[in-house]
Amino acid sequence: MIGLVVVSHSPGLAEAAVELGMQMVHGEAPPVRIAAGSDGRFGTDATAVAAAIDELAGQGVPGVLVVTDLGSAVLSAGLALELRESTTEVVVGAGPFVEGITAGLVLAATGAALDEVARESAAALDAKRGSSDATAAAAPAERVVEPVVQPVDAAPGDAAPAAAPAEAVEVDDPRSADEVVVNPEGLHARPAALLVQAVGAFDAVVDVTNLTTGTGPVPARSMIGLMSLGAKQGHAVRFDGSGPDAATAVDALRRLLADGFGELPTPAAG
Amino acid sequence: MAGSDDGRLTVDDLVAWMFRFDERIAAEADRLTALDSAIGDADHGTNIARGTGAVRKRLADAPPDDAGALLKSSGMALVSTVGGASGSLYGTLFLEMAKSVGPTPELDTAGLADAFRAGVAGVVARGRAEPGDKTMVDALQPAAEALSAAAEGGRPIVESLREAAAAAALGRDATIPLVARKGRASYLGERSADHLDPGATSAAILVQALADARSERIG
Repeated sequence: MIGLVVVSHSPGLAEAAVELGMQMVHGEAPPVRIAAGSDGRFGTDATAVAAAIDELAGQGVPGVLVVTDLGSAVLSAGLALELRESTTEVVVGAGPFVEGITAGLVLAATGAALDEVARESAAALDAKRGSSDATAAAAPAERVVEPVVQPVDAAPGDAAPAAAPAEAVEVDDPRSADEVVVNPEGLHARPAALLVQAVGAFDAVVDVTNLTTGTGPVPARSMIGLMSLGAKQGHAVRFDGSGPDAATAVDALRRLLADGFGELPTPAAG
Repeated sequence: MAGSDDGRLTVDDLVAWMFRFDERIAAEADRLTALDSAIGDADHGTNIARGTGAVRKRLADAPPDDAGALLKSSGMALVSTVGGASGSLYGTLFLEMAKSVGPTPELDTAGLADAFRAGVAGVVARGRAEPGDKTMVDALQPAAEALSAAAEGGRPIVESLREAAAAAALGRDATIPLVARKGRASYLGERSADHLDPGATSAAILVQALADARSERIG
């Protein structure tokens, strides 16, 4: 799997962000190197970034995504591409720091290619922004001034498919399935990461749609896309698969959702 | 021996430039930091001074044999010690100049002008700042243009460098009314106006240091 280099003005900030992102990775994690601080102070050092890239390249990773924090981290990462000695493919990501690291780690853990991980990481603000298009290029965050409007027709527990838009019909094709979100917290970061990991195990492409709100479809490989569906408890979700493993992949995802991602309260033990 | 204007810039001249740059920065560090505290994060003076001190030490410990090696060594020292945008940008300036001049023992005005133009182009590309954005480019770009014009006019090197230094100072002073569009100061928006830009100020010191070091050389 590809590796990540995290560039920050602060080692503490970088370590905490990576630790937070790793909470979403279950199983083998992608290799990560931190290049943070400069000469023991806040700052970034292009030579340290170059060394981190070279170190990952030396391990034979097929690509490196560089995720950066504030302004000069981007400059240092750019200069590092000229200073490095390795020739592994490198992308300096355009995503936000915490979200970009998290989304990048989750998708990289599935063995996804560098360009796909870079796109996912770059679009990582979309979940916060409430966009339904997870593949859109990330717009500047400071332009987001309107609060995210949540649909009001989604009362918790309102699981009746009749409440969903008309397209919620019975599906016979095993490559498609509808399921209702049952866990109280809905499709938040951890469940989204589990779905990404699950679909990564199959030779299949699965699109996910929130039938209740009409949001999507988004690729099941995109943690950020899944979070942008705003799927809450009681919402109906559709999986549409294609590819050789489509039916088994869709079934695996459907069961994860139906089981509440292991977040359902267990019956009180005596 | 050649006179003080033999039209050449030797490795010794470049070493003298870096030493003079370090002296001037050390003397101005508090002022640079004060400028930066008005519109930035109050560390430009100390950061640059740390870098120029590291360059001086590196050149004293291991004097390079040619101009390209000297510029590269200086650039790498700045990158790894200054931190922040200034480290990457000054590093880029020197590394691009190093690429332009190659392993040559000395430069003439035209060679220096080409190298400086390449270095400034590297800074512009790396920082995506244009003249007028209230950055070091506002001092460096006019200096590069003055140097190129002097080289094309066949002017002696000392005079060319003085003109470049004067152009850098004018560019520096012209940053006062500007609203920053790049760098940390850009977060301040309109409040960044009516302040001298610290990056343009240190860049003007860099150019002045070269003019001074070269004009004081005893040929």
